[in-house]
Amino acid sequence: MTQKSPYPYWFFLPAAVIFLGLFIVPTVASFYFSLTYWDPFEARFAGWDNYVQFFSEPFLIRGTLNTLFFAFVTSVLKTILGLLLAVLLTSGIFGQSFLRSVVFFPVLVSTIGVGILFQELMHPTEGAINVALAAIGIDGPGWLTNPSLALFSVALVDVWRGVGLATLIYIAGLSTIPNDYYEAARIDGATRWQLFWRVTVPLVWPATTTVIILSLIGGLRLFDLVWAMTRGGPGFSSDVLASVIYKQYQAGFWGLSTAGNVILFLLIALIVAPLAWWLNSKELDA
Amino acid sequence: MRRGQLFGGIAALAIATVVFILPFLFVFLNAAKSPSEASQPSFAWPSEWQFWQNLVDVVQVRDYALLLAYFNSIVITVGAIALLVIFAAMVGYVLQRRPSRVSRVVGFVALTGLMIPPAVVPTIWLLQEIGLFKTLHGMVLIQVAYGLSFCILLFRAFVASIPRDLDEAAIVDGATPLQVFFRVILPLLKPVTLTVIVVQSITIFNDFTHPLYYLPGSENITVQLTLYNFQSQFTSQLNLLFMNILLITIPPLLVFIFFNRQIVSGMTSGAVKG
Amino acid sequence: MTQVSLHDLRKSFGAHEVIKGVDLDIADGEFCVFVGPSGCGKSTLLRMIAGLEGVTSGTVDIGGQDVTHAEPSKRGIAMVFQSYALYPHLTVRENIGFGLSLARKPKAEIAQEVEKVADILQLGPLLDRKPKALSGGQRQRVAIGRAIVRNPGVFLFDEPLSNLDASLRGQMRIELTDLHARLGATMIYVTHDQVEAMTMADKIVVLNAGRIEQVGTPMDLYEKPATPFVAGFIGSPKMNLFEGRVAEQQGCDVYGIRPEHLTVSDDEGRWKGTVRHVERLGADTILHVEAEDIGTFLARIEGHRSYRPGAVVYATPDPAREFRYTSR
Repeated sequence: MTQKSPYPYWFFLPAAVIFLGLFIVPTVASFYFSLTYWDPFEARFAGWDNYVQFFSEPFLIRGTLNTLFFAFVTSVLKTILGLLLAVLLTSGIFGQSFLRSVVFFPVLVSTIGVGILFQELMHPTEGAINVALAAIGIDGPGWLTNPSLALFSVALVDVWRGVGLATLIYIAGLSTIPNDYYEAARIDGATRWQLFWRVTVPLVWPATTTVIILSLIGGLRLFDLVWAMTRGGPGFSSDVLASVIYKQYQAGFWGLSTAGNVILFLLIALIVAPLAWWLNSKELDA
Repeated sequence: MRRGQLFGGIAALAIATVVFILPFLFVFLNAAKSPSEASQPSFAWPSEWQFWQNLVDVVQVRDYALLLAYFNSIVITVGAIALLVIFAAMVGYVLQRRPSRVSRVVGFVALTGLMIPPAVVPTIWLLQEIGLFKTLHGMVLIQVAYGLSFCILLFRAFVASIPRDLDEAAIVDGATPLQVFFRVILPLLKPVTLTVIVVQSITIFNDFTHPLYYLPGSENITVQLTLYNFQSQFTSQLNLLFMNILLITIPPLLVFIFFNRQIVSGMTSGAVKG
Repeated sequence: MTQVSLHDLRKSFGAHEVIKGVDLDIADGEFCVFVGPSGCGKSTLLRMIAGLEGVTSGTVDIGGQDVTHAEPSKRGIAMVFQSYALYPHLTVRENIGFGLSLARKPKAEIAQEVEKVADILQLGPLLDRKPKALSGGQRQRVAIGRAIVRNPGVFLFDEPLSNLDASLRGQMRIELTDLHARLGATMIYVTHDQVEAMTMADKIVVLNAGRIEQVGTPMDLYEKPATPFVAGFIGSPKMNLFEGRVAEQQGCDVYGIRPEHLTVSDDEGRWKGTVRHVERLGADTILHVEAEDIGTFLARIEGHRSYRPGAVVYATPDPAREFRYTSR
């Protein structure tokens, strides 16, 4: 082809400069800096020290495990609740479109605002949740003050905030399932339960894939909600990788912080990429 | 409507009200209380409404920091979106129109942006090196870099629905590649452009993490950081903290009311493959 | 003088050659139709002339100049697309004037040119509408108007009538023929419909699998088809083509006779067969006849004659209209 293409590659250029310069270059550089003792003044080569520290200091190990726990719990809950809500909100119930808006709106609200709000609601003695529980005779727990509960409480708030997106994606997926399938299955005598498991779940699989992948990536990377609600506390009990990265950065341990970043990157790559591949292959079988 | 749907709907409405609406009511009520009443925030009705007073107070805090924050956030959001729309549309257009090895590589690299967490400290170091750390320009470019992947995917999918004949008609008419793009393609991208603008403006406006890292300094404050900074200062004035939450929730609420359809189409793209 | 000549033109997509050496001369002012089955390369060939498709080897000359590597807009051509390719965001007026505005012509001149074209095509009342608000035939005319305003030496049409319904198609065929007579420009027209080719062309180019099978006037191709492919492609209903024993008896590899050149009789003739199916078209009737030794063939008889399926008939070819093909 001797003529110039009407679709020149230099159209990539402005985006490429910004994306490579501010995203890819730092990502590549992070592999090097994670191997250094790095502070605001100098970077000295340190070998694997930062990584060794990451997997020997209990509070750093805790951060990694917490990240996995948080991503797992929120993904599972968002997937299940999202599907159930979507089925409910496509069944033609009273107030359906209003309910959809109500469920979705928290997705658009400032995460920090949500965090502060629930911090107040979850106050152990004066918070509205425990006051309400006390009214029906239940002694509410210290949602954010109990070290073994704090991370789970943050996860619940994340589900509250994010389930609307999962619901929305499921509603879009459900709307592509032709009604014929349901009618055919009903003529064959399928029960509601069978319709759900034999028709809805398999045919809405692409939406499930999207919801799981998005929730996992979001869950593994989550920072703002944890930071607004607990700052990783009490102690280090609700620290996740993203909050560890921030704390080490603030403390001036840039190398350690960057090593955390690389670990987060590897976690996402090692979990999400194979999972996405596996979920997609199940989709083809369906 | 069957009876079951009606009762089911009423039950669902009741539960949704408790779970999703009460928290916002809580914010609203406590934003209208006096400091002493709000010091133990509850669902109790304010004994006296001082909504306007609180609003004025929160705006005046720290020498009108909230107004400055609004200004900064709007500059960042508008600047980033202007660049995102043009640059991402150009990439999405060529990616869709010119399938080749180069395009496949570019498409793959763009996809990584959806997954990989930004390497924050090396980015700070880089921004310092090129003099963009703690600057609004730098923040704009960062938001562009982080938003590109999503926008490129949206644009690429939409370009597929524009017939190639239109490009070729323009080429025969003597249009240069830039003219084909700006005079034929870009006007036809209007629906997806609106989606990109709406979704990205909410994302960037609500972004807390990245301004926290890359834009420290009280003169660079953004709206999300006002909350964070006031959180410690307002322990005795929770009414103002809630008023602040209310104020930064209003822009997304307005966008949601007016652009519901664009938000839905943008947020669900990718859910339905075809 | 805008004649078009193609010299040993070739095009490959990877290892796959789709245009396998085309030589062709189209005279100034000629209406030339490329016809062939889908996938024969006719659209690719047109797009190579337009410059929308690169050339692997060979040359394209337009108006005596080698434009093989020239930009589409520098070739003095205009093109009408199958989908019309009207810009949906522009009005009819802006659509027609688009090329002129790209060339930064003064506004007054653009307006004048657009009016002139609108007059020719009776588009006046539609000028301020968007394409969405036009009927299929009107869109077609706007697309033609956009071509005319460029004042090209050569018009290229890529199956422009295939999106219209049958009656409108007939009308547009006549309009296009009239337009050709008025403008006197060279026109190259691609279609898969041999009726369009026969009714509109000065010269028909029959393409098959990336090669030219035959070039000639419509009646040339009808009366003297050079290959069995052309014989089968041009004319409706299709020519009866026989291979095997029937052809051998005739001393050739393929023997052909058109349905309208068979005389059908009740009692005597060369081939005896049974009527299997009768298609009444009004003026004519097409018989599907099955004969023992030669298989099924078609015969055209006058509309007032009639047979029932199962009737025994005899058919005799007109000896002056038989075709015999021998492959070397």
